[in-house]
Amino acid sequence: MEDMDDERMAERIDFSTLDPSNNQLRWARTIDGVVAQALAERRKRLSIEAQLLRWARPVLAVAAGLCLVAWTASLVTTSRSAQTTSQQPAWQTLATWAANNQIPEPGDLVGTLRGN
Amino acid sequence: MLTHDETADLVRRAQRGQADAFTGLVRGFLRPAYAIALTVVGRAADAEDLAQEAFLKAFQSLDTCREPEHFAAWLFQIVRNRARNFLDSRRLRDVAPQGARILEFITPASESAGMREALLAALAALDVDQREVVLLHDLENWTHAEIGEALGISEVYSRQHLFQARQLLRARLDGDGEPTKLAAVDQGPQRSSASRMKGSEGKHGRHG
Repeated sequence: MEDMDDERMAERIDFSTLDPSNNQLRWARTIDGVVAQALAERRKRLSIEAQLLRWARPVLAVAAGLCLVAWTASLVTTSRSAQTTSQQPAWQTLATWAANNQIPEPGDLVGTLRGN
Repeated sequence: MLTHDETADLVRRAQRGQADAFTGLVRGFLRPAYAIALTVVGRAADAEDLAQEAFLKAFQSLDTCREPEHFAAWLFQIVRNRARNFLDSRRLRDVAPQGARILEFITPASESAGMREALLAALAALDVDQREVVLLHDLENWTHAEIGEALGISEVYSRQHLFQARQLLRARLDGDGEPTKLAAVDQGPQRSSASRMKGSEGKHGRHG
């Protein structure tokens, strides 16, 4: 079928006046311009990505350190507040024992009076 | 035109950033991209700019080209989208009076301005598919198989479009159609030629 097309070359419409590559020098410059611009944009994009990659590790390390510090601090705060809430004044403990007719172990008594 | 394998190889190498592959792709497809843009915007200078912009856009998102062997079809879609956006913005910007859109197919004066105008005016009478086929075939020397694949149509359709397009163009260029008269007139009477061509505007508008 393509042979038939070849036979019909004479039937072709002559679009040469619309052909931008008629001016070969200008067309070659256009091609070079597109390639140069594409490569420049690619380099720019890669350089941004490279910068991001370069800074990614230290930033991640700092973030991880901060997370660790925050986590440790929250653990300490939690255990302290738990301790605070579990401790009652000595008089309250003694009163509870008395109200319940409970005889405390000597160790508990000493500990309570010491404020542990 | 580049073969499938050559195209795919160039695309893959361009994805890896090889400069000669970029050059190969531009050499192989900038002119077809221009032809596709021309079918939408109808001005050679605008079509050239759009083809270049579309190429830059294509290179920016080259990693998303999943079928490198079908680079042409992928590129043409980018060209069409940009050309249509360009037309829309130009219409908004120009706030052109009714009928002025047809002047899209009139190019600036040059040595061969008369013939160019006649061709562009005759092309305006075709629908977009016919324009794409006839330009890719008669300007770019693509085969029907290549055209069919790049435009997503069958070879049979490509042949039909080419046949109809040539008939219509010849009728207009040989003087059966009114737009041929454009060749004989200078830049001055564009308005009257534009009004004569109103019949073809509908077709362009629907497809563009």
